[in-house]
Amino acid sequence: MLLGAHGFLAARLRTALQDARMSVHAIGARDIDLAAAGAADALQAQLKEGDSIVFLSAITPDKGKGIDTLMTNLRMAEQVCAALARVRPGHVVYISSDAVYRDTEPFIDELGPADSPSLYGTMHALRERMMMATLGSGTPLAILRPTLIFGPGDTHNSYGANRFMRAAVTDRRISLFGEGEEQRDHVFVDDMIRLLQAVVERRSAGVLNVVTGQSISFGDLARKVAAIAGDVAVEGKPRAAGPILHRHYDATALFRSFPDFQFTPRDEALARAWRGYAQPA
Amino acid sequence: MNPRVGFAGLSHLGLVSAAALASRGVPVVAFDPDPAAVAAISRGDLPVVEPGLPELVASPTRPVFTADAADLRACDVVYLSLDVATDDAGQSDLEPFRRLIDIVWPQVGADATLVVLSQVPPGFTRELARARMTASPRPGALYGQVETLIFGRAVERALHPERYMVGCADPSRPLPPAYAHLLELFGCPVLRMRYESAELAKISINFFLVSSLSTTNMLAEVCEHVGADWDEIAPALRLDARIGPKAYLGPGLGFGGGNLGRDLETIKRMSDERGTDTRIIDAWRINSTYRRDWALRLLRSDVFERIPDASLAVWGLAYKQHTASTKNSPSVALLDAMGERSISAYDPAAELPARLRARVTIASDPLSACKDADVLLVMTPWPDFRDIALDRVAAAMRGRTIIDPNGVLDAGRAAAVGFAHYRLGASSVN
Repeated sequence: MLLGAHGFLAARLRTALQDARMSVHAIGARDIDLAAAGAADALQAQLKEGDSIVFLSAITPDKGKGIDTLMTNLRMAEQVCAALARVRPGHVVYISSDAVYRDTEPFIDELGPADSPSLYGTMHALRERMMMATLGSGTPLAILRPTLIFGPGDTHNSYGANRFMRAAVTDRRISLFGEGEEQRDHVFVDDMIRLLQAVVERRSAGVLNVVTGQSISFGDLARKVAAIAGDVAVEGKPRAAGPILHRHYDATALFRSFPDFQFTPRDEALARAWRGYAQPA
Repeated sequence: MNPRVGFAGLSHLGLVSAAALASRGVPVVAFDPDPAAVAAISRGDLPVVEPGLPELVASPTRPVFTADAADLRACDVVYLSLDVATDDAGQSDLEPFRRLIDIVWPQVGADATLVVLSQVPPGFTRELARARMTASPRPGALYGQVETLIFGRAVERALHPERYMVGCADPSRPLPPAYAHLLELFGCPVLRMRYESAELAKISINFFLVSSLSTTNMLAEVCEHVGADWDEIAPALRLDARIGPKAYLGPGLGFGGGNLGRDLETIKRMSDERGTDTRIIDAWRINSTYRRDWALRLLRSDVFERIPDASLAVWGLAYKQHTASTKNSPSVALLDAMGERSISAYDPAAELPARLRARVTIASDPLSACKDADVLLVMTPWPDFRDIALDRVAAAMRGRTIIDPNGVLDAGRAAAVGFAHYRLGASSVN
């Protein structure tokens, strides 16, 4: 059961799980408005005891950053938790975000506090706790905190590989804040889906950051995209005053949890993503 | 005339200590309640790997081994010397030691001096004195002596101690003559202190070692990223009188074994009860685990992306050289995270944990382990590895990558035969 049918990840995950011969039912906002009163009843009616549930639905910052968005997201989680409390699922996967960590934290692993002051990070942290409180120790709960995900089909257009590729296609020019010095980790969407599929198949439990462990500056990333695209300029522009914040991850927990999982090498992942942007299906 | 000395508990600590004292011509009775263990030791089948120990146990002045506690009755000084085991969380299990005391206490002569040599937490010896002396008063006193055993160097340390730290009920009173005589045999300072100070002194030593090791490891990682070499920096630090020539400045894969972890856990627990800020312990533990996985991250970032199905040769399973112990071993932790890939491993002393036997092949020698391997990992710094010809290693292997955290192999020679060589505290040499 996928809660979220049409998002960047949901559609791909649905296809991947179906290809793996799983029976998949996806519920989108058009099927059930999870934020509405009574959504729990509607959801309960569709759930069966022992189901695996992947909770992907959330209003992302590109659609709203205020308290109203926060409260809507929490209402969605409230309804989902109410349904889960009535129907004992076999496994639950909550797709959180690395936004739960403070922006100022330069080195992150799963032991770090999920205490971001941002409303979006707070929302995911609260939803994680709501899921934990609802499921207790009786149902395995996996909480995945992906960092920046890139690949064709992204709808958020946040600063990073996706925006750079769009800009390369449309403008032949990639703009950076400053010189793009900030270092970040970036995960290819196909890798995210493969990992998510493994989590579902193994009914994994626990908190895991979905990160490669290898950060790169936005500037270097932009230049890689430009090199793949060809004939694309990369230009810096003045940034707001303030410190340059980097973010590095320790991916050891992922390596230990999934010894046979290997990320697509970055250059290859960028090339594959670029093909999706340059020649959309 | 030398006093007669008994040791009760013949695990690592007791066996090494008894053999070292006997080698000085002191008549020693070495007792363990397990007859099978005593029989094995008597025929030279020792439960631990420790350089120099087989020779001491085989020497004419070796202890008399016995499984009969009554043999301790004639001893002037009896050491309670059973190693206190720890679980994976570093918590001590004192129950076997308490049971040993139950066996030994009624057998020891009333005038004999009892010495707790085992790794006990602060407060243990005072409580033991209070409980036992009240129930059965005896003129012979109870002391606590701090052990500073180092795996792999235990005999050397027992024969040439830097100092003795002796915990006393009343440090102002002189030590019993027989006990004082034994300590003087080794010609090192004897520091008397109250029980609790002695128990905490041992832990304090380990805390400073952990502190040095953690600082070294953190800075070594910085070196790896900025092109510095920790091996060039460490000698400069050793010449600083505030740091010292023997400071723990060698980068490593965290702190393995169980003793350091036990002491961290002991202080953490005691401080939690009393409200002391011990968050630095959390940082040390996190850093230790992080550095333990150095080779895993390196394989992921520098090898598996190029060769997804890379086969591995692993030299060393023990948590350090000169021991068969794999407790908290970085090598074993690495193997646990390797999934379904071809791995051949060799260790001169340690055995592969049972859970890994289906996935890892044990080789009969180091070169056999290297056959067709893409990567060689030198996970335990056994000195014998240093002497293996790298051209023969290259001939056996398919790949040209050596991950050698402790720098056992010569980086220049490795590069000369075409290897990329990685070690802690330095950028890779290609």
